[in-house]
Amino acid sequence: MNCGYGEKLILYFYGEADAALAAEVSAHLAGCPACRGELEALRAVSGRLAPEAPRPEVLASVMRTARALAGKRGRGPVFGWRELLLSGALASVLAGLFAVSGRPSRELAWNAGLDSRLDSVEYSVYQAQADFTASAGDWDYSYSELEDESLNVKDNV
Amino acid sequence: MEPTDAELVAAFRGGDPEALGLLMERHKGALYGYLLRLTGRRDAAEDLFQEVFLKLVRDPGAYREREKFAAWLFTVARNAALDRFRREGARAEVPLEGDDGRPGPADFAASPEPGPEAAAVNGELGARIDAALGALSADQREVFYLRHYSGLSFKEIAELLGLPIGTVLARMSRAAAALRARLEKDAQ
Repeated sequence: MNCGYGEKLILYFYGEADAALAAEVSAHLAGCPACRGELEALRAVSGRLAPEAPRPEVLASVMRTARALAGKRGRGPVFGWRELLLSGALASVLAGLFAVSGRPSRELAWNAGLDSRLDSVEYSVYQAQADFTASAGDWDYSYSELEDESLNVKDNV
Repeated sequence: MEPTDAELVAAFRGGDPEALGLLMERHKGALYGYLLRLTGRRDAAEDLFQEVFLKLVRDPGAYREREKFAAWLFTVARNAALDRFRREGARAEVPLEGDDGRPGPADFAASPEPGPEAAAVNGELGARIDAALGALSADQREVFYLRHYSGLSFKEIAELLGLPIGTVLARMSRAAAALRARLEKDAQ
């Protein structure tokens, strides 16, 4: 098709042409068999591309998951004053344990079987300890690099 | 007055799972039809359909109200289909068209198993149309299916695909011309 109306015809067919463009294309169609042919092809193909429905069990499966999760979210965390006191006490004990232990214990943080609501507190303490250890390691590494440089300078003097 | 998609998502986020059911009913025909055309297989289309809505179930915040729900839905669907094609092709970049003699997603998308409604218009014309669609390039077919099934505007499809709107329109125009030529040739 060489009439240059290809993209305009697409906008026209899919209802995205404004009034002026729609009128222009309509007028063009009267004298262009190629464009009329394309319009026919688009209509035929669109008719072939019918909506299809998945089997009902597909939707049912999604809904089971949605209802189950809605039930869990609905219960939500119960955080009364007793839980607050317990959380604070446990956090203090854990902080003390991490402070005196030589290495941060990933197992203690994650496998202690403690209530999952305390995980964020435990993990913060663990992470702080790990960061401190890593920083200490960085200092050691940097110091050993300085030592190496010092040796190189001595060798080259 | 029926609730909008955004209202249904908000209701679902607020703890009403039945709102999700309404959303699925509303979009199932278009989404599943698109996935069926894209994959050519009912089992794959059903898996992907579930995957799309389960994404919303597991993370209701994944959809942001600033975009049309259909745009989000078809973006997720398209990405899920591409991921599946990559996995099944067992390579990092799986072209939509097959190579080395192996079928690619474009080959699967040529002639899906007919569903009950498609069977109603099946027959010689249906087969010719399927063949004509199969003869399109992958780029043309992708844009064609998206426009037809999603109901999104060309501007929205261009945003979804990350392409200039001119490119999208050009692909559609070439697709239409190719379909006409193929159908006229087959009719002779």
